[in-house]
Amino acid sequence: MAKHDTPLLDQLESGPWPSFVSDLKQEAEVRAKNEKNVEYQIPQDVVEDLLGVLELSFKDGTTHWKHGGIVGVFGYGGGVIGRYCDQPQQFPGVAHFHTMRVNQPAGKFYTSDYLRKLCDLWEFRGSGLTNMHGSTGDIVLLGTTTPQLEEIFYELTHDFNQDLGGSGSNLRTPSDCVGQARCEYACYDTQDLCHHLTNEYQDELHRPAFPYKFKFKFDGCPNCCVASIARSDLSFIGTWKDDIRIDQDAVKGYVDGNLKPNGGAHAGRDWGPFDIVKEVVGLCPTECMRYENGKLEINNRECTRCMHCINVMPRALRPGKVKGCSLLAGAKAPIVDGAQMASLIVPFIEVNKEDGYQAIKDVIEKIWDWWMEEGKNRERLGELMKRQGLQKLIEVLEIDPVPQHVQEPRHNPYIFWKEEEVTGGWDRDVNEFRKHHQR
Amino acid sequence: MAFISTGYDPKQPMKDRITDIGPRHFEEFYPPVVKKNKGKWLYHEILKPGVLVHVSETGDELYTVRVGGARLMSVTHIREICEIADKYCDGHLRFTTRNNIEFLVSDKSRLEPLIEDLNTRKFDGGSFKFPVGGTGAGVTNIVHTQGWVHCHTPATDASGPVKAAMDVLFDDFQNMRLPAHVRVSLACCLNMCGAVHCSDIAILGYHRKPPMVDNEYLDKMCEIPLAIAACPTSAIKPKKVTMEDGTEVKSVEVNRERCMFCGNCYTMCPSLPLADKEGDGIVIMVGGKVSNRISSPKFSKVAVAFIPNEAPRWPTMTDVIKKILEVYAADARKYERLGEWAERIGWERFFEKCDLEFSHHLIDDFRDPAYYTWRQTSNFKF
Amino acid sequence: MEYEEAKQLIIDGLTKKSKSKSKFYFSDLAKILDMKPRAAKKFVNQMVTEEILEFWSSGSTSMYGLKGMGKQAAAEHED
Repeated sequence: MAKHDTPLLDQLESGPWPSFVSDLKQEAEVRAKNEKNVEYQIPQDVVEDLLGVLELSFKDGTTHWKHGGIVGVFGYGGGVIGRYCDQPQQFPGVAHFHTMRVNQPAGKFYTSDYLRKLCDLWEFRGSGLTNMHGSTGDIVLLGTTTPQLEEIFYELTHDFNQDLGGSGSNLRTPSDCVGQARCEYACYDTQDLCHHLTNEYQDELHRPAFPYKFKFKFDGCPNCCVASIARSDLSFIGTWKDDIRIDQDAVKGYVDGNLKPNGGAHAGRDWGPFDIVKEVVGLCPTECMRYENGKLEINNRECTRCMHCINVMPRALRPGKVKGCSLLAGAKAPIVDGAQMASLIVPFIEVNKEDGYQAIKDVIEKIWDWWMEEGKNRERLGELMKRQGLQKLIEVLEIDPVPQHVQEPRHNPYIFWKEEEVTGGWDRDVNEFRKHHQR
Repeated sequence: MAFISTGYDPKQPMKDRITDIGPRHFEEFYPPVVKKNKGKWLYHEILKPGVLVHVSETGDELYTVRVGGARLMSVTHIREICEIADKYCDGHLRFTTRNNIEFLVSDKSRLEPLIEDLNTRKFDGGSFKFPVGGTGAGVTNIVHTQGWVHCHTPATDASGPVKAAMDVLFDDFQNMRLPAHVRVSLACCLNMCGAVHCSDIAILGYHRKPPMVDNEYLDKMCEIPLAIAACPTSAIKPKKVTMEDGTEVKSVEVNRERCMFCGNCYTMCPSLPLADKEGDGIVIMVGGKVSNRISSPKFSKVAVAFIPNEAPRWPTMTDVIKKILEVYAADARKYERLGEWAERIGWERFFEKCDLEFSHHLIDDFRDPAYYTWRQTSNFKF
Repeated sequence: MEYEEAKQLIIDGLTKKSKSKSKFYFSDLAKILDMKPRAAKKFVNQMVTEEILEFWSSGSTSMYGLKGMGKQAAAEHED
């Protein structure tokens, strides 16, 4: 028998898509029965009360949560988000309902053993509810009480060899695409770079000293499956410098209809027979392709590596062999100045596992030094770039400006010339001037 | 329920403390076939919606069955996922960036039994536990935020509208008939914990009423300089207020015209609540993308300025989304993303074809970039 | 600068302002110490470990304050 009536939520149990309401009810029932005799460390009816408070929100159209900023684990300034219910008498089970962010493994591969163990811990010391995963990438453990936070952290670090993720003015938990683990497009090992930098910068991840949040995201290719270009302060996008590898026999296979274009991604509709000229050559944004006499040619120097042709004919075309990544900086979603897309700062950088990714770390640390000194409180990197200019960042990175840095040159001639750029400097003798110009 | 300690001693927090160990190493979790073929994959193919095969240069094949999931997930549900992974995948699985679960099989003979098993598992309420789909030119899972389940500043729920929307879009989760893939995202307020600003279709919670000021309690619960500093538009100023009984209290004043409804002040100061049943609702944005394929990444644009919160199933919102999707499906060319299609036909046609009203709210007036969105040519369509 | 000196500077600096507010951004602390952020961070962290300073987080931003000071603890029922 449910503790609270939930007539509105009940309407979300029907329909084909997995119902979170059904899942919450299932969990509430498991806890009520407690067939495994778990010594629950937070109220047994926590899920019932969550359903109750959510039903109330569905009825009155407003949230019933308050923010809490103090709670956390000792010595860390992130990883825990404090949460309190604003109707604690009615829903005592969720009076305290804090979240913990657990740093997910790169690539989000798991074994059932690990997940089961995590479930056991979270059922015992928390609500048994999770997000798999939060938007940034963490495993989110949703809802526990203050005294449990340290206990959970202790178990995670001692028994799981597992740390928390970031929140607040920290490096946020980095995340990556599936990468070379299962994708033929990936131009570098996203998982290794993600894991390596996450460990390298643990202090930045746990102990906030930045002006605001800072995100790394790792996309293996310009398809950008983790959206690094839109939502990370530093975006790593795999790319290549040499020629797209072509298998002309496979090209023929696509043209003859023996291979499924797009890896079958458009199979749900009859789009007619595959037309390589219209669908590949004709849609190439740089018009650098030609299909003649049964042969596909690419003028690779003109290619901007948008991935379209490769996506359409994955068995015929592959990224080149000289691979690395492009670094783009300054993306963010919301306020103050509205959304910003990342801007290209380093067109190509080697991704060298052997030397511990030194070239990449050099860039990261220069950016951080600049932003930590110049950034205002709650100013994201992209906003600092806007305020001080892309030139400034390029100067900080000690790299040469190149046309690749801009979409087009500036629209105005109001260049802030520096004194040292002008022959003779700015100090002049007005009396000397007056010898040739009357007052 | 007795408190059971792990051995942690609050009086000596640093004793035996382990910190800064980071996540588990990803290789511990790779299936053997991934470990062996990492970096060697040659190509992939979508065998049917939700089912992929990746083929390696070693000749090895890896089959992936992708299933949708509510990102709000119980341990009971996760244990069921584990049970399936044990039965068919030697205990291996992964999650995607968009909250899908992927079961990984290297032995083809296990593929069909796995799919069959997944299709039979349903919740008591009747919904699928593990719907197979989310690949190719279709609609995949919606990435979203916490909403009324956990957040203190949401202007809408997250799990509820997502469930309602995915029920309506479900056929396209299990089909690949669209001109290109369509990414739908939800963020429950403009702080966008879920970055929705570059999605084909974005559902965004939005407040429309400035915070109330709880003068009587404000100075007791909040530090006024912090509340003032929290405001991104500097709309909050200190103010002395005389209460009905004549006592004077320290409080703040909100310049309502400057408020952008972000709720950041409420985060710092619980005496500045802004949620409201009539004020809060949903903005629909369209036409964003993050891929660099053919055209550059794009921001989403506001298509509908406001839709009220209609719990539990948000019918006006799902109607609008369905309508936009169907017009796009019928009108766009193969490979054209929603935003590329809208730009090709022109936004004036987009509003006409989708039968959406254009109001002054849709003309940008927020800071410098607004100017660049106005039409600065005589080329337009009647 | 030695740690003890830095500690005293921060305690004095924050106490002086404690009438109006109890939570400070990291950059405020670095300014009190007149040090580069990375150097200041070492001292600030040590003060956290010694339970002199504590964090406050809005979820998106983090702040520092003298432990137990201010109104948040009472407002959040964590006192």
